[in-house]
Amino acid sequence: MAQQERKRFIYRTRGVCPPEIHFSIEGSCLHAVRFVGGGCPGNAELVCRLIRGRPVRDILPLLDGIECRDGTSCPRQLSEALTRAMDGGLAPADSFRLACDEAPRSAVALIGELGGDIAALERIIAAAGRRGVQALYCLGNLTDGRSSCRELVRTIHRHGIFAVLGERDWRCACQAGNGAQPSMPPRDRDRLAQMPQVLRFTIGDRCGVAFFGAYLQQLPGYSDFEPFALEMNMVCGLTDFMRDENVLPALAAMTPQFEADVIVFSQSRQWIHRQVGGRHFIGTGPALDGGRTAWGLLRAAGDKIDFSVENAD
Amino acid sequence: MAESVKVLPKDIQQLIDVHEWDMRTREGVQRFRELKARSLPSVALDGDLVYEALIPMQEELIAEIRRRHREKNAKE
Repeated sequence: MAQQERKRFIYRTRGVCPPEIHFSIEGSCLHAVRFVGGGCPGNAELVCRLIRGRPVRDILPLLDGIECRDGTSCPRQLSEALTRAMDGGLAPADSFRLACDEAPRSAVALIGELGGDIAALERIIAAAGRRGVQALYCLGNLTDGRSSCRELVRTIHRHGIFAVLGERDWRCACQAGNGAQPSMPPRDRDRLAQMPQVLRFTIGDRCGVAFFGAYLQQLPGYSDFEPFALEMNMVCGLTDFMRDENVLPALAAMTPQFEADVIVFSQSRQWIHRQVGGRHFIGTGPALDGGRTAWGLLRAAGDKIDFSVENAD
Repeated sequence: MAESVKVLPKDIQQLIDVHEWDMRTREGVQRFRELKARSLPSVALDGDLVYEALIPMQEELIAEIRRRHREKNAKE
């Protein structure tokens, strides 16, 4: 029997505690569902376990006529989400979340693997402030994968930092509902699940993209023709994070098809800056790098892009 | 690249199967790396990387295909 296509959806709720419902449908069955970002995680998890794997048409009657507040409820919101997904009113989600820093910048801070180290982040924020940066971009892994990330996420929000999930962050965010024993509190996992995985930004008059690395290519529904997928395929697959110099001629031949002029990644945990085909490729090292607190300073001056690794200690 | 192969004479086309990989895709990148290629376009014959960063003249390509075909037949 042919395998049914699985589609993933993100429904933004109205009038209930969780701001989002994440679910996937395979054929006519609900494959997985998760209420994200609020409400009672225990009850929500139970409901999700009870209804997953069942045909959507069997689930919908169960969700009818339940009110919680303001004339709606989590079940009612899920009913609306499933109905819209089945009738085509809700488009499937892209494989990764793309965030945009809309403001053109002339100086930004690039922060590699933090591993949950808030003190290191605070040192970088202070150092970046002294250098006059206008925005900070964290490229994952933000967390250490074990302890609560509540304070870290608060710090990120308080300072208006743009952060994308690394592979470890994403694995933590996905632990809920898969039967594994998660080590991070449910609300922390929800915080991560709502964060983007790719960031689009503008430096000078150039388009930039920032992401962690190859795990994005493994996400369900990843397409080679999604926005910035070409840049990811070239960095992660072709050049091994710009470490394979042999293939740089091929990379140069592909760059005219790029959307981004500046490509930033962090999986390789090495500070790298290469210019190929008129594009800048920047790899970020970890925030704690050989006993020092390191960050990257990316600047635009006229049509020139400058990059340097800075010390925050 | 496939276009230049498509215009090969029919008797040559009968000797070969043509596969083209799209370098924008993960599959194309994987094949590129398997062949240990470095530049684009690249042409492999029987899994051997033969031409890199160039499209060979038709006569040259035909001669190489015929040579390999003869060698294979001689072995069989």
